[in-house]
Amino acid sequence: MSGLRKLGRAPAAAIALLVVALGAVPSAPAQAIPYQRPVDTAPQQDAIGGGYKTPDVQRQLPRDYWLQVLDVAALGAAMGISVWLVLKRRSRKWLVALTIGSLAYFGFYREGCICPIGSLQNVVVAIADPRYSIPMVVTATFVLPLVVALFFGRAFCGGVCALGAIQELVVLRPIQVPRRLDRALGLLKYVYLGLAILFAVRPALARDFLICRFDPFVGFFRRTGAPHMLLLGGAFLVLGMFVGRPYCRYLCPYGALLAWCTRLARSGVTVTPDKELDCGLCAEACPYGAIERMRAVRRNCLYCARCYSACPRDGELAHAKAGLVRLSGGAPS
Amino acid sequence: MSEEVTRRDLFATVARGTVLAVLGGGAGFLVKKANGQVVWQVNASRCINSRLGDLGVEACNLCTTECVVALSAVRAVNEYSKCGRCNICPAYFNITSAVNELGQPSEKLCPRDAIERRPIGKVDPEDPANNFYEYIIDEEKCDGCGKCVMKCKEPLGLGSITLRVRYDRCVNCNRCSISKACPQDALMQLLVSQALQPAGIERPG
Amino acid sequence: MQYRHVQVIDGKGALRGIAVDAQARGELYAAGDSEIKVFDAAGKLARRWPTARPAQSVAVAGDGAVYAGELGQIEIFDGAGKLRDTWRDDELLRRVTAIGFTGDSVLAGDSADRAIRRFDRGGRFLNNIGKDNPLGGLLIPNGVVDFGVDAEGIVFAANPGKHRVERYAPGGELLGHIGRFHGIDPAGFTGCCNPTNVAIRDAIYTAEKAGPRAKAYDFSGKLLAVIATDLFDANCKNMSIAVDARGRVYVVDTVKQSVFVFERVNA
Repeated sequence: MSGLRKLGRAPAAAIALLVVALGAVPSAPAQAIPYQRPVDTAPQQDAIGGGYKTPDVQRQLPRDYWLQVLDVAALGAAMGISVWLVLKRRSRKWLVALTIGSLAYFGFYREGCICPIGSLQNVVVAIADPRYSIPMVVTATFVLPLVVALFFGRAFCGGVCALGAIQELVVLRPIQVPRRLDRALGLLKYVYLGLAILFAVRPALARDFLICRFDPFVGFFRRTGAPHMLLLGGAFLVLGMFVGRPYCRYLCPYGALLAWCTRLARSGVTVTPDKELDCGLCAEACPYGAIERMRAVRRNCLYCARCYSACPRDGELAHAKAGLVRLSGGAPS
Repeated sequence: MSEEVTRRDLFATVARGTVLAVLGGGAGFLVKKANGQVVWQVNASRCINSRLGDLGVEACNLCTTECVVALSAVRAVNEYSKCGRCNICPAYFNITSAVNELGQPSEKLCPRDAIERRPIGKVDPEDPANNFYEYIIDEEKCDGCGKCVMKCKEPLGLGSITLRVRYDRCVNCNRCSISKACPQDALMQLLVSQALQPAGIERPG
Repeated sequence: MQYRHVQVIDGKGALRGIAVDAQARGELYAAGDSEIKVFDAAGKLARRWPTARPAQSVAVAGDGAVYAGELGQIEIFDGAGKLRDTWRDDELLRRVTAIGFTGDSVLAGDSADRAIRRFDRGGRFLNNIGKDNPLGGLLIPNGVVDFGVDAEGIVFAANPGKHRVERYAPGGELLGHIGRFHGIDPAGFTGCCNPTNVAIRDAIYTAEKAGPRAKAYDFSGKLLAVIATDLFDANCKNMSIAVDARGRVYVVDTVKQSVFVFERVNA
């Protein structure tokens, strides 16, 4: 019975997988002109003479495949570094450095594409539509953060995800969102997840990747975008100064999947209550509502390591294995 | 107490293993049907600017306006081996404009002046009508508005100019915003090798 | 001068080059996919016979012999369709898109080489017409060489890349030209390559594509009439034109695969 509680309440409306895509809607006919034309009537280079050579048409290649593999490797490496920095070194300073680095690489250099959040749509379509398939790098991008979450929690969210990074860096004076409100808003994630899946598995012409379309920050990453989307992104960032990482906590559909996996994680941030101290500074420091009643709520923990820097017994300088906030397992969430 | 912890831990381990197995199975299934990298490309047989028929309509410039990149990733590309190298090119000149003393139309068609006209082969400096001309589109200036494509189309021209997605500019969105807007559904996803083929306007028969 | 549209002849299949018969019986000969079709004066298909290779053009000699221009050869039939002779030449007759007669010679337009070949009646090659210029041939981006011959044996060849009809002596010497490019004036030839086809009788009759139209000019180059424009499908290209002894003009609509017939209205 206690094990069932571990799974939590899985919102039924969220999953609409295994909807088999129907054939594409027939579109405008390509050409209906039924006559024949002479082919190849253009003058060739010997007819033009004078030493003329027909120039080649430029055919630029898209990004090399091995670079995309490199991106996946970078994703994995960044998550590994995040886990180590937060759970081992417990260094907020270095985590911020990683956050900036990820924002620079995955955000502004790669312009936010491809990201695990969007990849969930592609994966869903690839499962549902027999004619649609995705390259291996996309599958890897989807699976890797989930596997890490199964063991260590939302390491992806801490310092690797570009959308998370940009929000992380604008957190100024975060308020503590009341628990009930936090729970209620958290359900929006599942609604978004359900909608994203529903729209993604539509037949090819009607298919709409909502997550990509309504990504508030991609306009910043690309340095160009529709004015209303840039405004929305700006609004999220302004909001993010006072409510910690609103997209990550209440909207991110991939975050919903990561939260589920984190429930089964072996390691993660844990708060051990102490009869004497229980100062609660970690709970105050956490902007994401991941510490409730002196317990870590791992599925909400976005790996920011603020709790470590706030803890008077186990600050950045201590690196001690013992301490109030330390590595352990088994605390109920 | 410790028993409870162990049971919980055991359950977590089993559940974790199950989820890993599901993820692994799903990933395996996806990898088995994996293809190579796909990119977006304009289907010249559907694009209203280049497909046969639809003459006398305004050139469609959705490729220019819908692309998320500031200067659209779509360009007009001249397939040189199919170009007629004509003296009076309807894509270069605005052939409905007044004729100058050289016997050529006085106005150019491209609103951004992106096409360069150059005599090639054995050049006769006296009589411009005696030369072949190469028409080169400057991709820094072109914005994919499609006017030249519409005029190069058969029967007026030979259809050597088509709109193409340029991969040094395209960010390869998951769902190309031009593909959503195109009323002819002319944007399609192709494997890279297919996408680099010259634009094929299927010639019936 | 005015023309009115009097008849539509259904092509019963593909239609390429057309020609009127020499005896003024009102018959129309047409090159089809791999056949020659003959339509009577009422527009009905009178007879047809196959050709060995895809036919591109057809012409009727004074003695009634039917010359069919094909890919790599010319086949000569009698009026009933029996094969009399085949001239095969993969070099000189790669794509025969027009055939005409001047004096004792047979002329064949080869669009692959952008020139008109002159043969004697036995099939022996005499000379090229239209090749002796800086461009090494006629300017034919549209892919079809067409010409007509007047009563004196002067060859009027369409040079669409230069927007004019050129006059050549049978020996190949360029004598003059009429026509010029103009995008607005109907007397000019518009687009990249027009006129695509030409026929000669008592005037110079031209067919143009892209804004398709048929026109008539006098021999000094003055526009006499715009025979028709809107009747043709806008996608027509390389519309073969022929004029018979009664002054009726036949123009092929390549999309609808039919022949439009026009008669002069005596103004």
